Amino acid sequence: MPAPRVADQPGSEPGATPSLPTEAGPCLLVRAPIDGAAVLARVSAADAGGNVLFLGSTRGVTDGVTTLSLDYEAHEPLALAMLEELRSAAMARFALCGCAIVHRLGRVGVGEASIAIAASAPHRREAFAAAEWLLERVKAEVPIWKCEQGEDGGRTWVHPGDMRSGAERGG
Amino acid sequence: MPSDLTPFDRAPSTAAGERLVVTLFAGMAEIVGARHVEIEWQGGTVADLRRDMVANRPAIGPLLARSAVAVAGRYAADDRPIAAGAEVAIIPPVSGG
Repeated sequence: MPAPRVADQPGSEPGATPSLPTEAGPCLLVRAPIDGAAVLARVSAADAGGNVLFLGSTRGVTDGVTTLSLDYEAHEPLALAMLEELRSAAMARFALCGCAIVHRLGRVGVGEASIAIAASAPHRREAFAAAEWLLERVKAEVPIWKCEQGEDGGRTWVHPGDMRSGAERGG
Repeated sequence: MPSDLTPFDRAPSTAAGERLVVTLFAGMAEIVGARHVEIEWQGGTVADLRRDMVANRPAIGPLLARSAVAVAGRYAADDRPIAAGAEVAIIPPVSGG
């Protein structure tokens, strides 16, 4: 199993942007705000004609219920290994030029991004399809969990399939 | 185990054999009130581990039934044997993204 690459602190690695150490691999778990433009820049390629950046962010109100923030945690080594596997699969399946996945852990405030997926391909269709495919796979398979911090001080871990959680929240 | 894991992922050390340290996450850790549980382990499969865990902690039953088990960093089927001292984690339904 590869050692996890987790950026604990902004600028914790030499020459790094806050959320994206330059020497890091294409899949990352970070605890600092995600710089979407930096993620997108990582997948740029001369032969790419379509470049898609998806940002999933914390929604402040869901079905009338206010969320103050989401707290994310992960089984980090397994999550990273699975992100790498999914990225490799997407590169082959959609014949991508580049692909990067960054998921934030810890507290993510309303409007802040919890996940960034960037995909570049010769044509737009494959780039759009890859980003959506990856997002759905991450949400369904990668061992990362969110805990909703409610207005009333309540905390609720989201485990899809719970009677209480209903439809998926956030992201 | 890689040396640069966060404290969260670093399980307590175990005596060789006899015991299994199981790492818990999210709602499962909340129900149990701990990040890790230690189980006396004479050998067995993932299914045996599930039975052991729920026998002593009935409250986790419904969530455990919907959870996967990871052994040595890989999702493991119920018939997978678990050696004492193996790295084991319970993976409740995920909600990243």
